Amino acid sequence: MADAVVIPQVQPVQPALRFLRLIPGVLLLAAIGYAGKLLEQNVGKYAKAHHWVFPNIEYVLWAILLGLLISNTVGVPEIFRTGVATYEFWLKAGIVLLGARFLLGDILKLGGVSLLLVAIEITGAIAFMTFLGRVFHLKPKLITLLAVGSAVCGVSAIIATKGAIDADDEDSSFSIAAILALGALALFTFPLIGHYLHLGDRAYGIWAGLAVDNTAEATAAGALYSDAAGKLAVLVKSTRNAMIGFVVLAYAIYWASQGQAKAVGNKAAFLWQKFPKFVLGFLLISVLATYQFFSKDQVGALGNLSRWAFLLTFAGVGLRTNFRDMRKQGLRPFAVGAIGEVVIAVFTLGLVVGAEKFFGF
Amino acid sequence: MSIDEKEVPLEKPWRLSLDSWAVVVALLAALLVRAGVFKHIPW
Repeated sequence: MADAVVIPQVQPVQPALRFLRLIPGVLLLAAIGYAGKLLEQNVGKYAKAHHWVFPNIEYVLWAILLGLLISNTVGVPEIFRTGVATYEFWLKAGIVLLGARFLLGDILKLGGVSLLLVAIEITGAIAFMTFLGRVFHLKPKLITLLAVGSAVCGVSAIIATKGAIDADDEDSSFSIAAILALGALALFTFPLIGHYLHLGDRAYGIWAGLAVDNTAEATAAGALYSDAAGKLAVLVKSTRNAMIGFVVLAYAIYWASQGQAKAVGNKAAFLWQKFPKFVLGFLLISVLATYQFFSKDQVGALGNLSRWAFLLTFAGVGLRTNFRDMRKQGLRPFAVGAIGEVVIAVFTLGLVVGAEKFFGF
Repeated sequence: MSIDEKEVPLEKPWRLSLDSWAVVVALLAALLVRAGVFKHIPW
């Protein structure tokens, strides 16, 4: 039953062969991403030349739609899968490079506000998801995985927590499928809601970073709204990601105290292992940019490099999403996730609107 | 289910995670841009 998310058995393979295996999938990501960029440039022109009324669709959405089309029709052939899975790598490299477009002062100002909002969001989300899971009589460790996935950072948090609390593969598959399905929905609903409510780029970007679970989907949901919103969504989401170690550690200690998980020995080493290193890379590049290590043109070049990396990520988000597999996962965890996500989205929207009035960002 | 008081095994320190590889590659790319190897990256 829980067969949508299969963790492949890793066989010992020569590094050169491993690298070669990545190439077809990476080329597929690049081809889809570039096709999305070409479609953005040409469809609008073509529609205008023929006097059609056609919405201006950005490359982000084209790349995701093309990926979804392939994944949900012909599927992704085996030869491409290893390379397609590198979209997480491109996402993280893109976030690090994006640091060049943030001055340290902006990060400290927005990071301070977002840290406060993130702390409130994580506490509220964990409390609500735990309550909801109990109401729906889900298994306690499944509740933990869903709570961490929706409160902190999606799939990475679930995988990190699964190892730390000795959760079942089935529970983590359920949670990952629910989080991915809801992330896919958020991609399309968040920009619509943002436009409907006339949210500014800043408010929308912070909201997307706070409420959308997976980093790739949060980045895409922000970029779908505007470039500025995309930048802020990445900043806030990275702040959330930075919390992963603390939340996973707290759950690991709790489940160990219940005699249902291994005890954590060196807590500092545990935190370092779980800490997302790309957040440090992002800060380092930002510090370098702030102290003018890069010229203005070089900052522009790094920004463009970051966009190319995200282009591959967005293609991967589409290719990774298979609605048929998601339907197989059963309704209850999905229902808990969906209700939780709606409440968290409304709650965080209220937080952002309140903070905007209070802090005036 | 009860599990003995064993420590959570940590990753071997010499093996870089995906996160760390992404940082290394991005920093390398940034240094190449800084050194002028890539002067202009179009979009």
